[in-house]
Amino acid sequence: MASRNKVVAMILAGGKGTRLESLTKKTAKPAVSFAAKYRIIDFPLSNCANTGINVVGVLMQYESTELDSYIGNGEKWGLNGVHCLMSTLAPRQTEQGANWYKGTADAITQNIDFLDNADPEYVVILSGDHIYKTSYTDMINLHEQTGADVTISVIEVDPSEASRFGIMVVNEKDEIINFQEKPKNPISNLASMGVYVFTWKTLRKYLLADDKDPNSEHDFGKNIIPNLLKDKKKLQAYRFKGYWRDVGTLKSLHEANMDIALDKKELNLYDGDMSNRIYTEDVYSVPQYVGKKGSITRSIANQGAIILGNVDSSVISTGVTIESDAKVTRCVVMENSIIKKGARVHNAIIAPNSVIEENSEINVNGDEVVLINTAKK
Amino acid sequence: MSKIIGICNLHNEPHLGEITKNRPLAALSFLGRYGIIDFTLSNFSNSHIDKVYVLVRKGIVGIRKHIGSGAIYTNNTKTGSIELLINEKGLSNKPFNTDINNLRSVINEQDDLDYDYAVIAPTHFLSSMDFRPIVKQHIESGAAITSIYTHVSDANREYINCRKYKIENGIVKESTRNVGRTNEADISLETYIISKKTLRKIIADSQKVSELYSINDMVNYMINESILEVNAYEFKGYVIPILSMEDYINHSLDLLNYHVRSKLFLPDWPIYTTTHNTAPALYGKDAEVQNSFIANGAIIKGKVTNSIISRDVVIEKNASVNNSIIFTKTLIGKEAKLDHVLCDKNVKIVHAKRLVGTSEDVIVISQGANI
Repeated sequence: MASRNKVVAMILAGGKGTRLESLTKKTAKPAVSFAAKYRIIDFPLSNCANTGINVVGVLMQYESTELDSYIGNGEKWGLNGVHCLMSTLAPRQTEQGANWYKGTADAITQNIDFLDNADPEYVVILSGDHIYKTSYTDMINLHEQTGADVTISVIEVDPSEASRFGIMVVNEKDEIINFQEKPKNPISNLASMGVYVFTWKTLRKYLLADDKDPNSEHDFGKNIIPNLLKDKKKLQAYRFKGYWRDVGTLKSLHEANMDIALDKKELNLYDGDMSNRIYTEDVYSVPQYVGKKGSITRSIANQGAIILGNVDSSVISTGVTIESDAKVTRCVVMENSIIKKGARVHNAIIAPNSVIEENSEINVNGDEVVLINTAKK
Repeated sequence: MSKIIGICNLHNEPHLGEITKNRPLAALSFLGRYGIIDFTLSNFSNSHIDKVYVLVRKGIVGIRKHIGSGAIYTNNTKTGSIELLINEKGLSNKPFNTDINNLRSVINEQDDLDYDYAVIAPTHFLSSMDFRPIVKQHIESGAAITSIYTHVSDANREYINCRKYKIENGIVKESTRNVGRTNEADISLETYIISKKTLRKIIADSQKVSELYSINDMVNYMINESILEVNAYEFKGYVIPILSMEDYINHSLDLLNYHVRSKLFLPDWPIYTTTHNTAPALYGKDAEVQNSFIANGAIIKGKVTNSIISRDVVIEKNASVNNSIIFTKTLIGKEAKLDHVLCDKNVKIVHAKRLVGTSEDVIVISQGANI
């Protein structure tokens, strides 16, 4: 792999995440909690750390304060070492005026100075709301070996779902020859994961050109990639194997949580591989306690949880209390929520700091996932 | 404002047999998540004492491994710090490896530490103790030393061989060994507030009294010989003494009771400890867990009752663990039945199917054993 400081990662974490409804009312999507202990952005950040990428910029806009203080100096992911630079990049006032980020590409364009200072050979563009465990080393190596201008991580999807994604058409060398954004009639099943390795010189040129284009939406998928393709630049596909989920909707967020609770092993947090762990904030609470009449099966639970009732197929986060005789099934209970005595909850995401009242029944026979948020903020 | 330092004194740790054979008590696992030393270091931290020295007698590697850079306990990592002090000469000369000689070697080899008052505390009495009001009272009183004690009603069973105080008008008049003759007793927690001048005097005088004396011995001597006036301060909070293997096991399991637990763990008084980046605990479809602590990273597929399960432990299907304490990274294999067992870390129970002790006679499995 290229020398580590030749690679800079930029994580796009500015979106509002409207489809997560009130979970993102006061919280940026990448800061939403996941799998009892983590926040979504822990995954790309840990992947960067485990790849040995030392310089990471996180681009933020919506509700940036909480995310900014969570990321801090990068210490939680070990990104505060002597060769590291962890920077949170929110829109700011400059000589050219004050602008919000107009699109994913514009967010990078507005931070060209940050990248110029780091002077990388390659820039890895990542999304702050994907759940996967990987090292980007192979992808960067492929990019370097093929001498591509951009390498795009792709994953095979079910043809019936292909119309939800940006679809890549490749030749026998896995070079991208065509691209369809959310097509009605997809001609390939290779979906872009929104994970790119760019040669910085090329990207810089295209960003500056895009900035001057009045008709552009300043978006990687809609503008930068099609422009590169039009100019016959070298676009390489990298075939990603393994577990990868975009958790942009309540349903997909719930599903990805269930994958871990039900120990499907596709995203294995228990493989004991010390070089590929997911790092996060630690909380100072006692280990979880399961009471004399409590029970918990097919679930994960984090320290600080108190389980006095019955839990099955669920995710129980830090500081959650499940009172006696409560029954919680297929739920994602986020931090510090309380499920009171005798309550029955099924197929639900319980937002942080919520309270489910005594003996209440929520979605007991429901097939659709519901979101319950009683928190004050 | 006076400069206050914390001195965490590991020189007088009790021996707990097998489980402290290869590690200092301070680094012993507690409740599946903590090290014993976390309580004293967190008490310093929560009392805003940010300069802390740990007097290490042995096993410095284990202590270093547990507390790391010390940043997890420190408020400001530039102005605050946790330093480990060890008397290298003492290592080869065990009887002389005392806390006083440790401090003396620091004074001789470097400069004396920079402070006005020191809070000296051991780790074998677990509590959530706010030192601030005690230090304040000490400074106002003008006494040479303030010694913190707890009043107990079960001194016939607990705190055997600890120091028992006779107190008159807030002054310690006599310090004797608790031999369990009475139930009611005021027991020294070996925790002192002391000025730099007095601590220097103790270090200097000890050479004339006995080279083998510890700070505790010197304080007791000074009380009994009426050399210095020692203030008594009663700590009214909950104290858990860890003086023997039985203490360790019974008091750990007592904490499964919520009412006991909420006396030790107070709101707004976090106990800091090192993080290991382990995933949440995972429960399989046949898991049966009752009245137990489960630490992160544990995988539970069998039955666990009245037990403490540490980080990265695996309890396989059809295994059952009762009234037991299982340390880090231990595997309890399929069909194994454990009752009243303490498994040290990295143990693999794969062949043995039945390990049954009693509450008086707990079976202890040594670190790394494969049975």
